[in-house]
Amino acid sequence: MNLNRVKEDRSLWERSFVYGIYVFVGVFALLCFIPFWLVVVNSFATESSIKLHGMQLIPKDFSLYAYQYTMAGKQIASSYAVTVSVTLIGTCFAILITSMYAYVLAHQKVKYRNYLSFMTYFTMVFGAGLVGFYILVANTLGLKDSLWALILPYLLNPFFAFIMVSFFRTLPYEINEAATIDGANDLTIFFRIIIPISKPVIATVSLFYALQYWNDFYLALLFIDNHNLHPLQIMIRQIISNVNINSYVGGSQTTYSQAIPTYGVQLATVCLTIGPIIFLYPFIQRFFVKGITIGALKG
Amino acid sequence: MSFFREIRQNKYLYALALPGLIFLIVFAYLPLTGHLIAFKKYRLADGLWGSQFVGLENFKFFFMSSDWYKVTLNTIFLNGLFLVFGLGIALVLALFLNEIRHLLYKKLAQSFIFIPYFISWLVVSMMTFAFLNTTDGVVNRTLETYGLNPVNWYLKPVVWPGILTLIYVWKFAGYYSIIFLAAITGISGEYYESARIDGATRLQQIYHITLPLIRNVVVVLGLLGVGRIFYGDFGMIYGIIGDNSALYSTTDVIDTYTYRALRVLSDFSKSSAVVLYQSVMGLITIVIFNQIAKKIDKDSSLF
Repeated sequence: MNLNRVKEDRSLWERSFVYGIYVFVGVFALLCFIPFWLVVVNSFATESSIKLHGMQLIPKDFSLYAYQYTMAGKQIASSYAVTVSVTLIGTCFAILITSMYAYVLAHQKVKYRNYLSFMTYFTMVFGAGLVGFYILVANTLGLKDSLWALILPYLLNPFFAFIMVSFFRTLPYEINEAATIDGANDLTIFFRIIIPISKPVIATVSLFYALQYWNDFYLALLFIDNHNLHPLQIMIRQIISNVNINSYVGGSQTTYSQAIPTYGVQLATVCLTIGPIIFLYPFIQRFFVKGITIGALKG
Repeated sequence: MSFFREIRQNKYLYALALPGLIFLIVFAYLPLTGHLIAFKKYRLADGLWGSQFVGLENFKFFFMSSDWYKVTLNTIFLNGLFLVFGLGIALVLALFLNEIRHLLYKKLAQSFIFIPYFISWLVVSMMTFAFLNTTDGVVNRTLETYGLNPVNWYLKPVVWPGILTLIYVWKFAGYYSIIFLAAITGISGEYYESARIDGATRLQQIYHITLPLIRNVVVVLGLLGVGRIFYGDFGMIYGIIGDNSALYSTTDVIDTYTYRALRVLSDFSKSSAVVLYQSVMGLITIVIFNQIAKKIDKDSSLF
């Protein structure tokens, strides 16, 4: 009797604990999602409704004006072109350089691989800092207002390199020996054999690089003044802080009967910026999960 | 002699490493000479080597002012908050996600929690503004509906460590919980089975099995975080706070301070002195705490 009572109490407590867990996780997930919802939904609201009611979970009226206004200007097109080309070019070069470099660091035959590893590791613990870096890019290399200033500094990320090193180390060395006996040199081995069998890690690290290039505003903040070269992230910043949105977005030549949709332009630009990421998210999520797991647990 | 033989023997391999090596030399090692500017009165026309040597003048200037402990304290305090709450809440989330047996629910929740990791700080800044702006922000509108006075958030420095911590947790809870979940998944199911046979509740299983077995991962992540405590997240702070000087007293970190000294005041020497101070302090803390982390767990030590 008494024992049953204890069991019942216990299972009641168990069940409410489990419900509590479901609620906590659900609420947290919702909180993560709500800002996205608000931004996306309200980018389709009218400016007057935002001014009148603030941002709402479900706005009453629907309008495409913010998008029409934003897309009519020149800035969004040029910012998109900058961000897309920097991301594409940067990611391709970065993954090539990083995988080649990491392969050598992981290669048993390379006598000086530990020196190279230390040289790479050292840059992670003792940085040059802002001033030296700024002078190098702006003055020594003369890359002010050049797209290369947005690409070159991120070509080799030591952290990503070490993720690849830890992957290459897991490949059996016999592959190498067999290919060497067949007369392949190290270049052939790397490009013909290693790269094809390393597709998962290459995809993962490429996505990390792509995300970094897409989201970065630090380099543009430092080195880009010409608004024709502003990437999307800087465009968002300009729209938040700029008083003269009309001339910046570039809709000034066209005449509009309605007022400038200040909030609308901000929200629409944000949606256009995060759009590709959100659309790709279901497909790329697992790669990031894998990358984070390797990076943190294996080193 | 043996050096050249090694290079010749593996010439293709060293050729593969060459672009990466050149990158490191140009972008990581060459700029180290910039630290010299900390000891000089830098003028663009004179260049790095031609500028006048002034010894510790620039450091004196920085350490005599109240700036140095203000930005140092802000950096350490904010990073401390991020670390404690970021890891803490991610740990709770991972433990809870692991208890969820409904797979679709678990997957959906995880996907939502991970999304914020993918957006830039400027988008986050825009979202923050949408919530907190004085006239039309979601928060103030809600306060007004309940008859409360709206708050001028962007003029109230006291609340920002809290707001920034909230934003940090929002953005990185998914990231860290992935790491913790991976560690939890590595635990053998047999422990839980035998615990269940002995009548342990779920909470007891979490407390007596899961937590002790992933303790190392938590401690190591914590130590690595402490090692980087002198490095503020420039993108985050500058993206959200920007040039709003009303909030500097609680949000100005070393990284934003040096950025302003360089880009707004064009004071290369002062900026450089602060950067060198940060790099040296950073080096010391990272090396110390990485060593401790290495002692605790050999596998997850490198960074």
